[in-house]
Amino acid sequence: MTVDATADLTDQEQDDALALPANWQPRTAGAALSIFGVDVVAVLIFSALSHFVFLTRQSLSNIALDGSESVLLCIGSAFLLGAGELDISIGANVILSSVVGGKTMAAFGSPLAASLIGACACVFCGVAVGAFNAAVVTRLRVTSFITTLASLGIVTGIAYVLTNGYNISDVPLGLQSYFGVAKLGGLLPYPALLAFAFAVAAWFVVYRTRFGLHTLALGSSREAAVRAGINVRGRLMALFMLAGGSAGVCGFIDLSRYASTNLSGHQTDALAAIAGAVIGGTNLFGGRISIGGAVFGALLAVILQDGLVVVGLAAFYQLIAVGIVLITAVSLREFTQSGDSSTPLSSRLMGLLLGHA
Amino acid sequence: MDPSATPPRSESRRPAAITALAIRKQYGHVEALRGVSLSVGLGEIVALVGDNGAGKSTLMKIMCGAISPDAGEVVLGNDVPVVAGRFNAAEQGVGVVYQDLALAPHLTVLENVYLGHEVLRTDRPRWLGLLDRRAMALEAQAALQRLAIRLPTVRVPVSLLSGGQRQAVAIARAVKWARRVVLLDEPTASLGTRQADIVMNLIRNVAQQGFGVLLISHDMERLARVADRIVVMRRGTIVAEFPGASATLAQIVEAMLGGAPRLADPRAGAPAA
Repeated sequence: MTVDATADLTDQEQDDALALPANWQPRTAGAALSIFGVDVVAVLIFSALSHFVFLTRQSLSNIALDGSESVLLCIGSAFLLGAGELDISIGANVILSSVVGGKTMAAFGSPLAASLIGACACVFCGVAVGAFNAAVVTRLRVTSFITTLASLGIVTGIAYVLTNGYNISDVPLGLQSYFGVAKLGGLLPYPALLAFAFAVAAWFVVYRTRFGLHTLALGSSREAAVRAGINVRGRLMALFMLAGGSAGVCGFIDLSRYASTNLSGHQTDALAAIAGAVIGGTNLFGGRISIGGAVFGALLAVILQDGLVVVGLAAFYQLIAVGIVLITAVSLREFTQSGDSSTPLSSRLMGLLLGHA
Repeated sequence: MDPSATPPRSESRRPAAITALAIRKQYGHVEALRGVSLSVGLGEIVALVGDNGAGKSTLMKIMCGAISPDAGEVVLGNDVPVVAGRFNAAEQGVGVVYQDLALAPHLTVLENVYLGHEVLRTDRPRWLGLLDRRAMALEAQAALQRLAIRLPTVRVPVSLLSGGQRQAVAIARAVKWARRVVLLDEPTASLGTRQADIVMNLIRNVAQQGFGVLLISHDMERLARVADRIVVMRRGTIVAEFPGASATLAQIVEAMLGGAPRLADPRAGAPAA
């Protein structure tokens, strides 16, 4: 074995060997657009079935109002999923945040002060629960699924202990009339505007900032992120706090819409948020986030709920419909997006439940 | 190169890029490295071969600062010691390409090259952490071109690249952030023939840029074509060394499996019996 023919390849050979697959496309907002299309089609179908009652300003602005909380939660979940983590305690976090906010509001006489400080208390509580989750995940090395399953119980329990199971309704009424059910120009509900602003900011963070890139790196390959010197603990802390904060804002919206806490609600919020994010194109196993998709995925659930009511079916069918949409969307994506990940679905599921090796 | 003129010691005759001196490392009762000395010169390609458990990977991990030796030291250039610690390799100018590459499949080539070294926009407040993708794309493209790696765009996700392309991206990333040395662990292990040829050419380009290259490989045939020196390890010591051009497969295998030692460097410790 001596130096024989050096392995110099011709340019053509190199180009062939290094050619990109024919199906390559730049990363696009494809998933978000397609789910937006589904939203539009769903609205049109319900409109046709309801003599266009569903297409009125009133009805559409109701969708925006009903969707504001789920949009917030879907975006919070999308960030965590993108980083390869999840939080199933955010529904409970919404309840606890509204309880803490409601208690705080009750302690203040002035409606304005009560509203503002109560809002801060909601967000603070949400972020604190997120920080707790992050601390358990990063310090005790418990997977996020188990951690947030536990905190789902803990947080719900605390909310019940604080209230003895009775809803708090010492909420300034002005909060409801000036924010919760108020509409800008009689059309755009303020909570929906808040959710929209949050979505724009989230889009910006994911696609334009270093934080967004690190989030995706954490979910795409934890090992690559660690080797690249990314501060994994710090990033995870921020991400769980972000998701918790979105739940806190939801708690505030809840208080201001209904002038009361809703202890028995939000049972399916966390799973609905994950479903909405995944329907919108966020990868359940990390590495890809679609903010637009999370928004339209969240809205799809609301459209189905409101639409079924409008056409005279029980709203319970919505849960079934969302489940079917989730399966359809994910299976379509598995078939159409080859090369997305070479790891089999089963082992990725195991990774999600058991943690990153 | 006349093989008989080469002194049988693991020392480069060029200015040193990285030098390991009398490295010892023990795991339990297992002596992984028994006083290994090895230097890689600037612009030189040194191949580390040996059977499984010979100590190649341990030596490489010590040389990039991923683990610390029990005794001995690693020096960059002439005087800068490598201190062990997880991220020290990159900070100290040693580029490492691990066998698993450590690329994030969903991120684009440019994002992978710049992960952890992001360029931020200077015309906006830094706390926003706004990425300057344009600057990074141009620089990443230039970094690939310096090594004659042709990719149509650096904005393609790594998951869509072939094995050889991924290896090329990982090497380009290591070179981009390295200052003197690039270490590669089994760069052609999972590749087909043509892709392996391309990657070996690429490694030659890296050395031509002036970097010292140390690679672990079992791909003897290709090693002989690109390596300036082939260093054979067995049971934690260096037992032989051949100029890449004149080595025969039989000689290398004989040394790997325990033939007559050809190395008489006292710093390398006693040759394995």
